Amino acid sequence: MKAAAQYFKNIWDAVSTTAAGMRITMKYWLFEPSITVEYPDRLGKGIKAEDLAADRYRGFLGLNLSKCIGCLQCMRVCPIECIKITTERLENVRFITRFDIDQSKCMYCGLCVEACPASALVFTKRFEGACYDINELCIRHIKEAVKAAAPKSKAEGQNSENRTGRINEY
Amino acid sequence: MYSLADIIYRRMTETFGASDFLEPLFTIVSYLLPCIAILGIVSLISGALTLLERKISADIQNRIGPNRVGPFGIFQFIVDGVKLLLKEDIIPDAADKKLFRLAPYIVFSSTVLAVIVIPFGGPFIVADLNIGLLFIVVVSSLVVVGFMMSGWASNNKWALLGGIRSAAQIISYEIPVALSLLTVALITGTFSMQEIVKQQGLYPWQWFILHNPFTFIAFFIYFVSSLAEINRLPFDFPEAESELVSGYNTEYSGMRFGFFFVAEFANIFVSAALAAAVFLGGGNIGIDPYNSPLGYKLLMALVFFAKALSLCLVTIWVRWTLPRLRIDHMMSLCWKYFIPISVFCLVLTAAWLVAFKGNSVFWRIAG
Ligand code: SF4
Ligand code: SF4
Repeated sequence: MKAAAQYFKNIWDAVSTTAAGMRITMKYWLFEPSITVEYPDRLGKGIKAEDLAADRYRGFLGLNLSKCIGCLQCMRVCPIECIKITTERLENVRFITRFDIDQSKCMYCGLCVEACPASALVFTKRFEGACYDINELCIRHIKEAVKAAAPKSKAEGQNSENRTGRINEY
Repeated sequence: MYSLADIIYRRMTETFGASDFLEPLFTIVSYLLPCIAILGIVSLISGALTLLERKISADIQNRIGPNRVGPFGIFQFIVDGVKLLLKEDIIPDAADKKLFRLAPYIVFSSTVLAVIVIPFGGPFIVADLNIGLLFIVVVSSLVVVGFMMSGWASNNKWALLGGIRSAAQIISYEIPVALSLLTVALITGTFSMQEIVKQQGLYPWQWFILHNPFTFIAFFIYFVSSLAEINRLPFDFPEAESELVSGYNTEYSGMRFGFFFVAEFANIFVSAALAAAVFLGGGNIGIDPYNSPLGYKLLMALVFFAKALSLCLVTIWVRWTLPRLRIDHMMSLCWKYFIPISVFCLVLTAAWLVAFKGNSVFWRIAG
């Protein structure tokens, strides 16, 4: 008797659990919109690939040249030495003559960003680095020598508007 | 008995005049033409089903699915077919070459043979055999031969396991399929598919699924067992990816694989079409299928395809819902549940027919 009851219970269980599963998939089939992002060519109007990255995404390093004081902290702290900076002094004015970051070596550890006292070096959301020559990934942020920003203690009150300059991504 | 072949045959004798000399030619042509048409239609339908399957699975999983080739990706299956044609055709060194080559064609042809007696609504049936229903049951189990052949000939343990599993599975599930179809044969008293469709009607209460409670159960038994017979999830043991790589067709590539693939999807359509014709009234809209204007005939075909297609959708929907069973569960499901229940349905339908003089539950409305 018990076995017979179990037999019919098995049938009922099979039917009801299948129906429950089918209801769920039906819900997804008919009512849930797709969440696929058609990267890279059908992102939708006005949406760039960078917008897809989350906040605080660690993309390519970006440099705000108007803030950089040329202290070389970032170059020193980088464990794999992919930042190369040279500075020159001309009549008591410091110039940054070279600021290269080799993104092909960078491991995006963020140590340089933390070390930068002027918040000049930041992560951007740019992540599309595909290119034909790996040397293209060595990004030169400075084409010709620029004057280094004055360190904070000296610059106070002088050129504070400089501190909101554009981030140079290349 | 009217069928496409008969109609073409009569047309030809009318135009060319009947003669003993040309008679064999007429017969061959009148059967060959619809067969070729059916072959084209079946390939097209199975192509469309692959696309449908990918689209629906995408919808269920909140994806988009193929959408690059043509509007909404509707030409995807053509591109897939071309891709399969261009692939290298590899035959393993250790394979039994003759059997290896033969197997896909046996699988494919057994599927297409079944389509011959499927009534597509109206007069659209290639050959209205008086053993139509039996013919389908017999021919569709021929698939096993092809599966076993491919599994054995590949000389590959996964393929062999897949072949053996398919033999075990398809032969066991043959029984509930046949028994549940027999409940309808009991009511109709004939195996001819056109006749079975003709005895139903336009309205649901005239269909055999609602003839009595037992045919109602038999329909579901048929549907689930047919899933097992065509190797669809949750019964896709012969080609279980996680266990057997790809089962019996592991070693196949190129167009030979394509044949397996087309046969698989054509099988979905065949089993859905059979269910639609036998249980759901087929293309019957309450009009004489032979002596009506062409528009009505096409409407009947449309009704039939609508029913068959919605059953195909259910098949796909089930596939993307349920996980694969365990193999011993699959066997106990067949032998402990489906076979006893379908026998029970068969006997009780017979009793019903005796007790109620062959009337259905809704005989008052149906008239
Ligand atoms: S993120 Fe790390 S590896 Fe990359 S430049 Fe900065 S310190 Fe070097
Ligand atoms: S980026 Fe920052 S850490 Fe690097 S040199 Fe400029 S100010 Fe110093």
